[in-house]
Amino acid sequence: MSVIDRYAYVNRLRHIDPAQKAGLALLVIVLCLLLNRTVVGILAVGWMWVAATWQAGVPRRVFGRVLLAEGSFLALAAAGVALGVSASPPLGADWQWRIGSLWLSSSIAAVNHALLLVSRALGCAAAMNFLALTTPLVDVVELLRRLRTPVLLIDLMALIYRFIFVLLECMERIYIAQQSRLGYSTRRNAMKSAALLGSRLFLETYQRSQRMQTALESRGYDGDLRVLSITYRRDWRIVWLGIAMASSLLLAWLAG
Amino acid sequence: MNKRGRFRWGRIVWGVLALLLLSGHVAWANAIEPPSAIESVRYMHIMEGFLPPMWAAIWFVVAIPFWIMGFRRINQLVAQKPEIRLLLGVSGAFAFVLSALKIPSVTGSSSHPTGTGLGAILFGPSVMSVLGGVVLLFQALLLAHGGLTTLGANTVSMAIIGPLVAWLIWIGMKGKAPMWLGVFLAAAMANLMTYVVTSLQLALAYPDPAGGFVASFVKFGTVFAVTQIPLAISEGILTVLIFNALRSSATNELQALGMQGA
Repeated sequence: MSVIDRYAYVNRLRHIDPAQKAGLALLVIVLCLLLNRTVVGILAVGWMWVAATWQAGVPRRVFGRVLLAEGSFLALAAAGVALGVSASPPLGADWQWRIGSLWLSSSIAAVNHALLLVSRALGCAAAMNFLALTTPLVDVVELLRRLRTPVLLIDLMALIYRFIFVLLECMERIYIAQQSRLGYSTRRNAMKSAALLGSRLFLETYQRSQRMQTALESRGYDGDLRVLSITYRRDWRIVWLGIAMASSLLLAWLAG
Repeated sequence: MNKRGRFRWGRIVWGVLALLLLSGHVAWANAIEPPSAIESVRYMHIMEGFLPPMWAAIWFVVAIPFWIMGFRRINQLVAQKPEIRLLLGVSGAFAFVLSALKIPSVTGSSSHPTGTGLGAILFGPSVMSVLGGVVLLFQALLLAHGGLTTLGANTVSMAIIGPLVAWLIWIGMKGKAPMWLGVFLAAAMANLMTYVVTSLQLALAYPDPAGGFVASFVKFGTVFAVTQIPLAISEGILTVLIFNALRSSATNELQALGMQGA
């Protein structure tokens, strides 16, 4: 997970207004979902690939890995759509197999439908990953603040984001300490070690929140966490990219 | 084709299949430094773009009242005890990190807990709907797991129904059965319900052309059952162990959270 966060901070589009980047990603997601064609999905993956690697400078390898992060879900869910199960011999199936008393079947239409879903999901995921890889979560939270999200929720998000990394580091240290003392050596042991890690982590969580409360109060904390907002750059390139992308997706839809 | 050629083809096919199933695992295992508690996270999140627009919208409509209710509850808690604001923030991070914890699954491979059961027991289901929603948003943007348009659907399964089931079992069994049994069932059922609801959501969106909704539900259910049922048992055991450890060493903290009977 640190990989996505790292590139979010160091890519070339880092200082561009998060509203522009989120707008671009959402535009692609909405177009992919509404146009609902295999070609559109594949084209969207291509566009987002170009935007993330060529414009933002994210390595191709990283973009590919992140895109396939959910490969197992996609493979299983697509199999669920492509295959049909019935108790009687299926009608209108192009392929069928008998397993016990059940019939497993598939047809060209079902396979096409599964392919459509895979390409659409990959297109949408590519757009979301573009946003994730170019925009740090602090910028997303800042964008939500501009969109009038309640202050309490913004504070919670900021705290959660900050403490994810603190707790992950803590967890990592405990894990290494446990491993060097024969933790996780057998399956039974692994369960015990994991439970110990989880409960210690909870204590750490609680104590950290107490210490932070004290630290903040001694600096005049009255309930809201106020931070300076960053100034962002607006870039016309993103707008042109959006226009080109939307029109090519629409053209692909009309043609296909 | 001779025997050797066939053998090679078999190997290639199995290799590709294994790669497909493990792609998530491999991708992350390579990306992160050596032996680590954090690894690929494979839960039942509906991927971005997998639901048609209508169903994505419907699940948002279902989730929003729970978000509002949970947010009101959090506002109430913060008004009563201002220090709970920080505690809730750090607890959200705890929920996120807990889902990256590696636990041995009953079948042998390692897996990850959802943490919804423990969260519901510790913080209550209404608070979990908001914290869970934020955690799901962060998982989408930090791990590329789940999605933005499927946030509503994933919230309903992981942050609303799962915690609600866990909480009802926990409250219903308290005092009537041994505590470990209540905790085990709450955590295991929360995990299992998350997976049942996700299968339901997929089946509603993509009913089987011949068998309709029921056949589709059975189909998605079996496809995911292989990984999810052992995981539910593991999570149940883990949660009992964590809960016992907390009861012996964190009594004050549990009482501060308003846990009765701790």
